[in-house]
Amino acid sequence: MNIREIELPGIGKKYEIITKSTDKVVIIIHDDGRRDIYYFDQEDYEEAIASTTFDDTESRQIAAIIGGMTYAPKALETIEMAFDDLVIEWSKVEPGALAVNQTIGNLNIRQSYEVNIVAIIKRNQKKIHTPGPETLLEVGDTVIVSGQRHQVKTIVKEILSRRDG
Amino acid sequence: MILMTNHLVFEVGTALIIVAGAALLAGRLKFSIIPFLILLGMVVGPHAPHFGIIDLRFIESSEIIEFFGRVGVLFLLFYLGLEFSVGKLIRSGRSIVVGGTIYVALNFVLGFIYGWSVGFPIMETFIIAGLLSVSSSAIVAKVLVDLKRTANSETELILGIILFDDIFLAIFLSIMSGLLLGGSTTILGTITSVLISLGYMILFFIIARKGAPLLNKLLNIKSNEIFILVIFASLFFVAGFSEKLHVAEAIGALLLGLVFSETEHRERIEHLVIPFRDFFGAIFFFSFGLSIDPFSLGGAVWLALGAVILTIISNFVAGMISGRKAGLSHKASSNIGLTIVSRGEFSIIVANLGLAGGLMPILKPFTAVYVLILAILGPLLTKESKNIYQVMNRIFRWENKRKPKKHEAEGRS
Repeated sequence: MNIREIELPGIGKKYEIITKSTDKVVIIIHDDGRRDIYYFDQEDYEEAIASTTFDDTESRQIAAIIGGMTYAPKALETIEMAFDDLVIEWSKVEPGALAVNQTIGNLNIRQSYEVNIVAIIKRNQKKIHTPGPETLLEVGDTVIVSGQRHQVKTIVKEILSRRDG
Repeated sequence: MILMTNHLVFEVGTALIIVAGAALLAGRLKFSIIPFLILLGMVVGPHAPHFGIIDLRFIESSEIIEFFGRVGVLFLLFYLGLEFSVGKLIRSGRSIVVGGTIYVALNFVLGFIYGWSVGFPIMETFIIAGLLSVSSSAIVAKVLVDLKRTANSETELILGIILFDDIFLAIFLSIMSGLLLGGSTTILGTITSVLISLGYMILFFIIARKGAPLLNKLLNIKSNEIFILVIFASLFFVAGFSEKLHVAEAIGALLLGLVFSETEHRERIEHLVIPFRDFFGAIFFFSFGLSIDPFSLGGAVWLALGAVILTIISNFVAGMISGRKAGLSHKASSNIGLTIVSRGEFSIIVANLGLAGGLMPILKPFTAVYVLILAILGPLLTKESKNIYQVMNRIFRWENKRKPKKHEAEGRS
């Protein structure tokens, strides 16, 4: 991706973006806070085929959506923080997984996999820090697991992901 | 006395109703407000009838409306100075300097030849060459945003050329005010007054460069009330003081804006000034119209029409050359000239300087017709640039090879 930043005196700033798929997108940030987005076809970089305008609040919200601040795409959901081999991983409890409606103690996670569940983010965004063995795992919970890389991978695969997958 | 003051407020209020009405109409029609204000200003005035209590002749209030207009010029140029920065120009690169030079040189030289060949004396010719060369930043920026052209590749070049054009305006106004307002009759005296105004300008450039840290500290004022008082006091004082040195007050305002643009308070001042620029700026156009007797236009129409045609041609050619030199396509290049062709506030300011210097009064109706036509026609040319390009392309065959191929490809798919 190729981004060019250009000053537009009296209007604001212009960002010209050529994407990997050779689409051209231009974003104008007006001095008054408005944002324009223009889309150009690969065939013709001179005439925009679509455009739209957002006000400041809208553009911030849209930026957050595109940036994945509220929802990260499934494929990228595992954000890893690696310290050598020690990793922390965020993983969702998928429907049909072994862990659904089981307590942590029941699943015997600490003994069988030698990993810790550091925190759980429930579907309603409620956070449970250092959950005890009686904590119930439900579909859609985000489980934050820390441990050795291969063991974390194993637990995600065996009990958090859908079994048929 | 009290009765007169009452009349004054009522007259100014009536004038503002007209101004606001023009603005509403222009907004509804998606047009620049400038030609509407000038036209309405021309229609009313001393020759207008008056109905009962509504007096459209603006006799008592003409002085104060004129003064408001003068204040409008100060704000317009102060803002121009604030927006302007040498850093921006340097960053913008070579193609803009090349394009800007071509644009100003071509317009100025052709304007000079035109003024001279229709028989104007030398000073009037200079003023005409100058007012033909300065594009209207206000109209161009508005048109680019309205027509959603800001994303186009030629837009940066257009705005760069305008920035360059603005510097030309500043230098031109300084030299001309030295020549015209110095009031000197000898050559030596004239040279001295030109040198004074150029020196005055350089002094401000130095203050802008070196004085920023001190000004940052001085302007570090929390209270908005005190801040606005300090800024406006310096604006009016410096502008008025410049007049004393025979440097046009507009130039004083511009230079002060330039100085403030280098401080870290630039944005705050800009926000503060914009509403005042819009308000007094509108009255400036109205007051310019008001000062013109529509029946005096006759003698200037043909002259102005010639200048309009000349401007359209030279803008198109200059845009074409600058665009091609910057590596743009023929189509994008043709957009340049068709966009910067609009004329407005700065042309009037140049003409007003000439009038203040006692030049031929025909400059006023000439400028009025010229600006009126190009403030209306300019945005229309910009809007229709695609069709104009297609017609021109049929004549000059710039891109006759690529086009058919593309159509074929479209046909197949």
